[in-house]
Order: sequence, then C-alpha cells, then structure tokens
Amino acid sequence: MVRVDITCDLMDEDETGHVWAFLRDARDPALIQPGAIVVAGDEDAPAVAEVVDIVDKPAGRIVHLRILPGLLEDYQAVIQRAVIPA
Amino acid sequence: MTQRGWEELRPYLRDERPPDDATIVVRGGPDTLAKLAMHARRTHDAYVLDGEPLWGISVYCALDDVGPASLDGLLRRFASYRAVHLPRTGQLRRAGFPLLPSFGRPHFTIRLDGDDPAGLTRLLDALGPAEANKYHRRERPGRR
Repeated sequence: MVRVDITCDLMDEDETGHVWAFLRDARDPALIQPGAIVVAGDEDAPAVAEVVDIVDKPAGRIVHLRILPGLLEDYQAVIQRAVIPA
Repeated sequence: MTQRGWEELRPYLRDERPPDDATIVVRGGPDTLAKLAMHARRTHDAYVLDGEPLWGISVYCALDDVGPASLDGLLRRFASYRAVHLPRTGQLRRAGFPLLPSFGRPHFTIRLDGDDPAGLTRLLDALGPAEANKYHRRERPGRR
C-alpha cells in the first residue's frame, strides 16, 4: 500500500515540460515546497518527484513536479542499503 | 487567461499533422471510470479551449521509431506505471475522441464532451485493456 504526498496524473504535463498538479490535491500542503522530494501520482502509479515550483493561477495553486528516474522500490532499496540502524 | 479565470489551451496546441490511425497511444493505467473522471475534471478545472469548457486526459503518441517519442522510449519514461493502455489513434477517433496536440511533442490531450459516465465508459472501452509495462519490473542493478 502506497500513500502519495500529492495526487496527480503523471502524464499531465504543461508548457513547462513538467508534470503539473493542484496544490489542493496534496495530502499535507506544507510538505510541498520547491526542492522537496515527494511521492506523486496515485497508489497504482507512484513516482518520486522533486517539487520544481508552485505558481498561482486563477484555477488554483499549481505545483510543477520533476519526476525522478526509477521506481519507488529503487529508493526504498537504496535507503535500506545506506542507513545503518543505531 | 480568460475572463472565466481558466487558462486558454489554444496557445499551447502544436501546429502539426495529426498522427495517422495506426499510431500507438500510450496511456498510463490501469484506468478506471473514477480515474478518468478525476483526470478529465482536473483538466476542466485548469483549462478552456477557445473560451469553452474543456474536459480531457493526457496521453502520449509514439510518433517516432526510436528515441524519446518512440513506443519504447515512452514505456521507459513511464516506468512508474505497471500497466499501460496502448490503443491506436484510429480506435479513439472512431469512438469520437479527437486528439489535441498539446504542449510538448509527443503529448496529446484526448478531448471529451464532458464527464458523464456514458462518455467515460466509451473512452475506457476505446482505450482497450491495460497491458504490462515491460519496464516497470525490469531487474535493475542494486535492487534486491
């Protein structure tokens, strides 16, 4: 089971070439800051992404996301290798 | 911006020849009526076309034989999707869904008339069954 930080369609790109999402679709909007690494998409297709920026548009606050390479499981694996329990 | 406040999509449409009916469309899946409705409404909430309400979902067309706009390139790019729908453009057109060449190549927006269940069901049928994305579970170095 995966819980994403911001729900979006990973295929939705706009003129910036980045994936866009409404900030209102963030689980915790405080997590969504430029430079933050988040999980985007939905539970069927989650992806690790970097928040590029947040822009104000009349329809709402739009979050631009840069989808990072690899699957969520790849990041989980690298953390398991790298983090040594105290 | 329009007076309604939504963003006008027209300036972001590419001036290019429509893909032929045999072109493969890549849509991340598996799609459901609920997902299609949510994504179509998100487009509707953000954009209008020529000042009129717009419902749509994003897809990518395999326009090239090699490179990022090829089928292989797109499946690799969208490796986060364990399953993908791969209809031909002709299937979508025959079902009444035009493809708008929007934003950067090879992105397209499938235009819907609205978000009524009948139309969404027709789109889901036209997308066809979801197939496994060969790049989703490919063994990678370092994965255990």
